[in-house]
Amino acid sequence: MSRGTADAVVIGGGIIGAATGYYLARQGLKVVLLERAFPCAGSTGRCIGGIRAQFTHDLTIRVMLESIKMFQELDEELGVDIEWYAGGYLFLAFDEQRKQSFLQAIEIQKRYGLKVEFISKEECCRIVPGLNAEGLLGGAWCPTDGQANPFKVTYGYLEGIKRFRGEVLVCQEVKRINVIGGKVVSVVTADGNEFFTPVVLNAAGPWAEDVGKLAGVDVPVKPDRHEALVTEAVERCLEPMLVDYRPDGCYFVQHYGTGHFIGCYTPVPIVPGHNLDASDEFITEMPRRMVRLLPKLALVKVLRHWAGSYEMTPDGNPICSGTPVEGFYVSAGMSGHGFMFGPALGKLMAELIVQGRSTIDLNEFRLDRPWTKAEAMK
Amino acid sequence: MRKKKGYRKAKTDNVIVCRCEEITEAEIRAVIRAGYHSLEEIKRILRTGMGHCGGRGCLKVIARLIEEETEIPVSSQKFPTSRPPLKPLPLGLLAGYKNEQGNR
Repeated sequence: MSRGTADAVVIGGGIIGAATGYYLARQGLKVVLLERAFPCAGSTGRCIGGIRAQFTHDLTIRVMLESIKMFQELDEELGVDIEWYAGGYLFLAFDEQRKQSFLQAIEIQKRYGLKVEFISKEECCRIVPGLNAEGLLGGAWCPTDGQANPFKVTYGYLEGIKRFRGEVLVCQEVKRINVIGGKVVSVVTADGNEFFTPVVLNAAGPWAEDVGKLAGVDVPVKPDRHEALVTEAVERCLEPMLVDYRPDGCYFVQHYGTGHFIGCYTPVPIVPGHNLDASDEFITEMPRRMVRLLPKLALVKVLRHWAGSYEMTPDGNPICSGTPVEGFYVSAGMSGHGFMFGPALGKLMAELIVQGRSTIDLNEFRLDRPWTKAEAMK
Repeated sequence: MRKKKGYRKAKTDNVIVCRCEEITEAEIRAVIRAGYHSLEEIKRILRTGMGHCGGRGCLKVIARLIEEETEIPVSSQKFPTSRPPLKPLPLGLLAGYKNEQGNR
């Protein structure tokens, strides 16, 4: 049991907590980051590391353009090789309806200067040698999208917090948030450690709803299960992240630095709850879908298969917001895109907390929005 | 005769502990000394246990190194979850595809 003070307490040691904590600390705040288990134990450590600006929500596109710019310079900022690589994202269209929805999305994305276009089946096959293009109508292609290593980025940010005299404490589950007169006062952990602070950030990912309740704030974030697998490292043979949105589709990428293939799919119907059990269905279904798309992968061996949570909001867009409780902020509900949002939302949330406004207005991600503008490219 | 505690000290700390990812004892000790005291954290930083063997080869040795460096006994350390399929299997086999001879 101990007592301490901080200018800001960040709850959650995933990418959002780490990045926001870093940019708060860089602005001169004394940051204490409390992680329930260990860094990347939640969703960040289970994600596949894709980074893209191909979205349909205007604000998401703007945030991602900023994030990609930051990923490009993050090696220097953090002093670690984060394994950023602009291999592009190729969204495949196997039916006319999908093609039309990509064309509509491209129109929005181009307004913000994204280098994206709808390319023919032949061009898809040129970018992805060996692609099974049966029934393919073409694809939405953005060469500036890419990938990075979620562990390197998150641990890089955490080390950065320490460099700016902040603290990163593991195995510290927050059990109580004391609010007096509508203001945040302190945070108490399961071990009885209490940190007095005027600012608390809820970056608890799939547990954001529970942490919100501690401060009496309703945070509508519901986890659902996604599974992923990784193969052995092989010679490089795939540049972009391939996204197949068919009901029995999948998405995967070859890790640039190491040569592992890593991928997942969105189950139909979704599997609600924070469920981390790996299923028998996935370990046969995912390989079938991968090999169908890229037959040359048949002999590549699967090393591991695991599950993790998407932390969904009602409209599939993040919540980055102050709350009715003064000093209590939320940055959660990343709906499957937390890693790629991390750098930009970290910086913007730190601005919102310290300056009261951010260089890109996050108003459309506020907690009390009407949840009507759903993201189509989930 | 009492069994000697700990592993026999090698003459160099460049001994490879994680063969899959080629991580040496020195690298692991450096990460532990930097404040990372769990197998899960070390796995995320150095990729130990993320290769072909799934940690069968290295995790116990790393647990001993953590004990030596931090005095956290092996018995109270949490080991990472073993992930299916335990032994690496080809995508095509898992997918149920047949090879040219018609075998799975």
